[in-house]
Amino acid sequence: MRPRWRKVLLDLFEHKGRTVLVVLSIAIGVFSIGVIAGTYVIISSDMSASYAANHPANIEIRMSNFDENLLATVRNFSEIDAAEGRRVFSVRARTPQGSKWTSLDVVAVEDFEANQLNILNPIEGNTAPEKGEILLEQKALDDLDLEVGDELEIELPDGSLKRFPVAGIVQDPTTSADDFLASPLAFVTMSTLPNLGQPEQFNRIYASVVSGQDDIAHIRLTGDALKDKIEKSGFTVVRMRFAKTHEHPMAATVNAILGILMALGVLIVFLSSSLIANTLSALLNQHLRHIGVMKLVGARNRQVFIMYLALILSFGVLALLIAVPLGGQGAYALSLFIASKMSFNLMGYRIVPLAFAIQIAVGILVPLGAGFIPVINGSRVTVLRAISGDLARETKPGSGSGEKRESGFERFQTRVTAALARRGVHIPRPLLISLRNTFRQRGRLLLTLFTLMMGGAIFIAVFNVRVTLNDYIGSIGQYFLADVTLDFDQPYRIKEVTQFAEQIDGVEQVEGWSFVGADILYPDGTVATNLNILAPPAASELVSPILVSGRWMLPGDVRKLVVSEAILADFPDLQPGDYLDLKIYGREEAWEVVGIFKFIGREGVLAYAPFEYISEVTNLPGRSYSFRVVTAQHDRAYQDLVSEQLDQYFRQQGFKIREASPGLAMLDLAVESLGILVTFLLIMALLTASVGSMGLTGTMGMNVLERTREIGIMRAIGADNPAIMRTVIAEGVVIGSISWVLAVILSFPITYLLTMIVSLAVFESPIAQVFTAAGYFIWLGLVLVLSVLASILPARNAARLTIREVLAYE
Amino acid sequence: MIQPLPAIPNASESQIRQAMIDLRGVVKIFKNAAGEFKVLKGIDLTIQPGEFIAVVGKSGSGKSTLLNMITGIDYPSAGQVVIGGTDIYHNMSESQRSLWRGRNLGIVFQFFQLLPMLTLLENVMLPMDYAGMYDFDERPKRAMELLRMVGLENMANKLPLAISTGQQQGVAIARALATDPPLIVADEPTGNLDSRSANAMIDLFEQLVGQGKTIVMVTHDPSLTARTSRTVVIFDGELIDETIVRALPLLRHRHMIEFSRLAERRAYQPGQTIISRDQQVEYFYMIASGEVDVVLRGGRRSDVNIARIGPGNFFGEIELLRGGKSIANVRAASDGPAELLVLPREDFLRVIQESPITAEALGNIVQQRLEEHRAVDHRKVRRLMKR
Repeated sequence: MRPRWRKVLLDLFEHKGRTVLVVLSIAIGVFSIGVIAGTYVIISSDMSASYAANHPANIEIRMSNFDENLLATVRNFSEIDAAEGRRVFSVRARTPQGSKWTSLDVVAVEDFEANQLNILNPIEGNTAPEKGEILLEQKALDDLDLEVGDELEIELPDGSLKRFPVAGIVQDPTTSADDFLASPLAFVTMSTLPNLGQPEQFNRIYASVVSGQDDIAHIRLTGDALKDKIEKSGFTVVRMRFAKTHEHPMAATVNAILGILMALGVLIVFLSSSLIANTLSALLNQHLRHIGVMKLVGARNRQVFIMYLALILSFGVLALLIAVPLGGQGAYALSLFIASKMSFNLMGYRIVPLAFAIQIAVGILVPLGAGFIPVINGSRVTVLRAISGDLARETKPGSGSGEKRESGFERFQTRVTAALARRGVHIPRPLLISLRNTFRQRGRLLLTLFTLMMGGAIFIAVFNVRVTLNDYIGSIGQYFLADVTLDFDQPYRIKEVTQFAEQIDGVEQVEGWSFVGADILYPDGTVATNLNILAPPAASELVSPILVSGRWMLPGDVRKLVVSEAILADFPDLQPGDYLDLKIYGREEAWEVVGIFKFIGREGVLAYAPFEYISEVTNLPGRSYSFRVVTAQHDRAYQDLVSEQLDQYFRQQGFKIREASPGLAMLDLAVESLGILVTFLLIMALLTASVGSMGLTGTMGMNVLERTREIGIMRAIGADNPAIMRTVIAEGVVIGSISWVLAVILSFPITYLLTMIVSLAVFESPIAQVFTAAGYFIWLGLVLVLSVLASILPARNAARLTIREVLAYE
Repeated sequence: MIQPLPAIPNASESQIRQAMIDLRGVVKIFKNAAGEFKVLKGIDLTIQPGEFIAVVGKSGSGKSTLLNMITGIDYPSAGQVVIGGTDIYHNMSESQRSLWRGRNLGIVFQFFQLLPMLTLLENVMLPMDYAGMYDFDERPKRAMELLRMVGLENMANKLPLAISTGQQQGVAIARALATDPPLIVADEPTGNLDSRSANAMIDLFEQLVGQGKTIVMVTHDPSLTARTSRTVVIFDGELIDETIVRALPLLRHRHMIEFSRLAERRAYQPGQTIISRDQQVEYFYMIASGEVDVVLRGGRRSDVNIARIGPGNFFGEIELLRGGKSIANVRAASDGPAELLVLPREDFLRVIQESPITAEALGNIVQQRLEEHRAVDHRKVRRLMKR
C-alpha cells in the first residue's frame, strides 16, 4: 500500500474517539432519515394496500333496524356491487375473573364464510365463530387479558351476565379504520344475537360501489341516492360514512405526521452535517503539520485534497455500515408499530430501495459537502503556514506578538470587563477565561450553537404542541362537560329518568338531549354533506362552545342552528344569518345559521339546536334516548364509580339502558392517542438534542485539544485539577446557556409551525396555540446537564494532561 | 527600582533557614520505542535561599528536565526533590503539586506563556485566583503594583498580543511574582528578547535577589552567567563540578565532565603543605573552597608569600605543561582549611591536548604566572643578596 493511503488508514484508527464522533454524527443523520424514509415508503404502500386487500366498504350506513328484504333492495341498487347487513352495538365486557369493564362494539355478521366486505384477517383460532362463540379484534386484547378458548363475560341489556367462549382472534383493518378513538371490536354470528339480548336484525349497511371505487364524489352520490331509497322504504338513516377502496381513511393523517418526522429527519441530517464540518475543520487544523511535511516532500494540493477526501469517504462508509442496517430495522419496527396501532398488516420485512438510496446519498454526500471547504482550505495551505502551525490564528507568543492589533470584539470584551471592574464587579479570572474562550473559535461556536439551538427549539416546541393538543382536547371537552352519559335503547321521560338518577349519591343534575341526523343540500338540491344535530336544552351548561362567529342557541330558536366550522369546507362563505337547506325526515327546510363554533373537523359537520325545538321535530317532547348527568365530583375515578352505579340501578329498575359511560373516557382515549404522536415528536426532538450535545462534546474536545498549551500554563501557575475542569465545564455551560436563549426565541415560530401542521393533519382544523413553561425549563435543565456531560470528558482529559506533555507541544 | 511588596508567609522560619532547593540522587529516565533514555543521572544539587543561579548546558543536556524537576512539572524516576523544605514528589498528587506551585514558585517561560484571552492585569491576577491568596478585592491592586514594577501599568487592560515581546516578558515576571513566592524559576527568560530588554530583565532579577528571592535561571548567554552568583553546568544528564566550571570555563563540557569524574577531592588543614618546591608535580590542582598560599622559602625567619589564590583558581599547571619540578611551595592558607580538586597528570595532559582553546588559555596563564614568578623571584634574590 502506498504510504499516503496508509496514512489515511492510520488517521482513521489512530484517534478512535474522534473517528467515533464523526462516524456517529454521520450515522445519526443517516439512521434518522433511513427510519423515516423507510417508514414513509412502507406505510404509504402497505397501509392502503393492506386496507384494500380486505375489501373495505365504500359506504357505511348507520340506520334503524332492518331485515334481509331491505338488504336485498340495497343489493339490487344499480350502482352497488356488494352489500352486507350487520348489527353493531355496544356492550360492556370483562374477563370472568376481572373487575374492570371494557366497552366493546359487537359486530354481528350473517355469514363469515360468504362475507365479501370488511374482511377479517385471522390472527389466532377460528375466523368464523359458531353460535354462542365470539371473535375478538386484536386491539381488544390491550384491555382484556384473554386467549383463544377463554371466556369473555358480557353484560346483557337486562343487567345479567353471560359468558361467551373466545373462538378466535382476528384483525379488522377496515371497520373502524377512520376512527382511532373507536372502541375495540368483537364479532358474533347473527344467530348469537338473542344470546346477547339483541334482536336478530341488522342496523348497519356496508356496501361497495360498482365503479369509481376511489372517486369519493361518485361514492357520496351513490350513497345519497341509496339513502333516499332507504328512507323512502320507511327506515331512518342515522349517519353515513364514505371511503375510497385503495386509500386508507387515515392515510392523509399518517402521511402528514410522517411528513413532520421527515422534516425533522432532514433537520437532523443538516445539523449532523454542521457537526461533521466542525470536526473535520478541527481535524484539518490538527493535521496541518502533516500537510506541511507532505508538501515539503513534494505532495501537490490535489494529492492532499484526495487523501483527505478519501478519509471523509471512509468516515461516511463506516457510518453507513452502522446506520443502514439499523435504519432498515428501525423503519420496519416503526412501521410495525404504526400498523398495529392502525390495525393493518405490513407486506413483510424488506429493504426499501428509496430509503436505501437516500441513506447512501446522505452518508456519502453530506460528509463530502460538509468537509469540502475545510479540505479545500487545508490542502491549499502553504508549507510555511502549515509548519508554523498558525492556522488557528491564535496568538503564538514570540511570533509576531506586538505586531497584531486587538480585534473589535476583543476590545469590546476587555472594555466591558474593565467597566464592570470600575463599578466594583470583578469577574474571577478563571471564569473570564471560560467566557472569553467561548467566543474564540466563532465559526465553530456558531455551528455548535446552531445545532443545540435547533434541538432545543424543537424540544420546547414539542412540549408546546403537546400542551396545545391537550388544551384543544380539553376545549373540545367543553362540549362534553357531563360526567356521565346515559344512553337507552328506547326513549324515556326526562322527569322519570331524573327522579331515578337522583337516587344515586353524587348525582346533581340530569339533562335529556336529543339528536337528529340531516342532510345539508346544495342550492341544486344535491346533498353536500351529512349533518348531526345535537340538541341539549338551550340553557344547558354542559356545553361551553368556542364560538368562531355569531351566537350560541337560545331557548326560542326555531329552525335555527349553530354549526361547526367544518361546514366551511362545503360553504366557505357561510356566515351567521345565512340559511342552509336541510333535509330532515324527508322534509326540506331552510334553517338559519346563528353561529359557527370550533370543533374537530374530522368528526364531520355538527350542529347544535335547542332540545325544546328538536324534540318537537323528533316527536319526542319531554322524552329522550340520551341523558347527561352532572356529578358532585368530576374526576375520572368518580365518574367511573357513578357510571357503574347508574348502570346497575337503571337495569335493576327495568330500564333498557344501553350504556352508562364516564364523560372523561373519550377525552382520555384521545389524549392517549395524541400521546403516541407526541412521543414520536419527542423522540425526534431528543435525537436532534443528542446531535446537538454530540456537537458540543466535539467542540469542547477540539477546544481543549487546541488549548493544551494554555491549560499547561494554567497548571504551571497553580491551577489544580478542579480548577481546570471548572474552566472547561464553565465554557460548555456558557455555550449551553446561550443556545438556550436562542432556542427560546426560535421555539416560538417552530411551535406555531409544528402546531399548524399537526392540527391540520389530526383535526383538519387549525387550533389556538398554547405555551407552557415546562418545555422551556426542562430544556434549560437538560441543556445544562448535557453541557456539563459534554464537557466532562474533555475537562477530564484536560486535567490529566501533564505540563511536560503540554510543553512538548511547543 | 523595585518597590518591596508586602510579603506573605509561604514557609515557616525553620524552612527558610533550610536550603531552598535540595536535589538528592535525582534520576529521570524517559522511555520510548527505542528503549530507555536516562536524561538525568543522579543529580545532587543544593541551592541556598537568596542565591541567583544560572543553569547552563547544551541542547539535550537535560537542563530543562532538571528545571522541570525543581518546578514539579515532571517527576523523577528516582531520588528526592525538596523545595523549601517540602518533598514535592512524595504524598503529593499532580493536582496538589499545581496548587503548591502556585503558592510557592513563580515560573518565567522562554515564550512568556501569557494567556491570550486575558488582559495583562488579568494574567497577573490569575495565579492569586488559583492559589486563593490575597483578598478578592486586593488582587487587582497587587497586580497593578506588580505591573507598575515592570513599567506596564499603562497597558494593564491590553491583551498580550498588543504588546512587544520584551513587555510580555515583563508581564510574565510580574505574574511569577503574583503570589510572592520565595523561588523564581526562569527557563531561558532572555531567549526571545533583544539585549536591552534582556539586561533590564536581569537587573530586575538582581533586585529581586537583593530582596531575598532565590532565582534559578536556565540560560545560554555567557554574559548573563557572569551576573549570577553561581553557575551550574549540566552535561549529558550530569552536573559538572562547579570548581571545574569556575577554574576552566573555556573547557568543553565533555572535558569538564570527564574532569568531574576523574578528579579527586582532597582537604587540607590550615598551613598544610600541598606541594613542596623542587617536588615532582603529579597533579593539576583546582581550589574548591578556602585559599592557598604560593610561597618561596626564605631564610630562617620568613618565607615569602608571592600569591594567595582562592576558589576557582588552580595551580600545578606550569610544571605539568613545561615539565620540571615545582618552582614554589604551595600550602593551605594559615587562616582556614582548603578543599582541592586534584587531577592526575596523564588525564590532565590528555584532555588539554584535546582542547586547544583551553591549552592556549592555560599557556597564557602559565606565561603570565611565570613572569610574575620571575619578577617576584628576582626581587626576593636581590633582597637576600643585600642581607
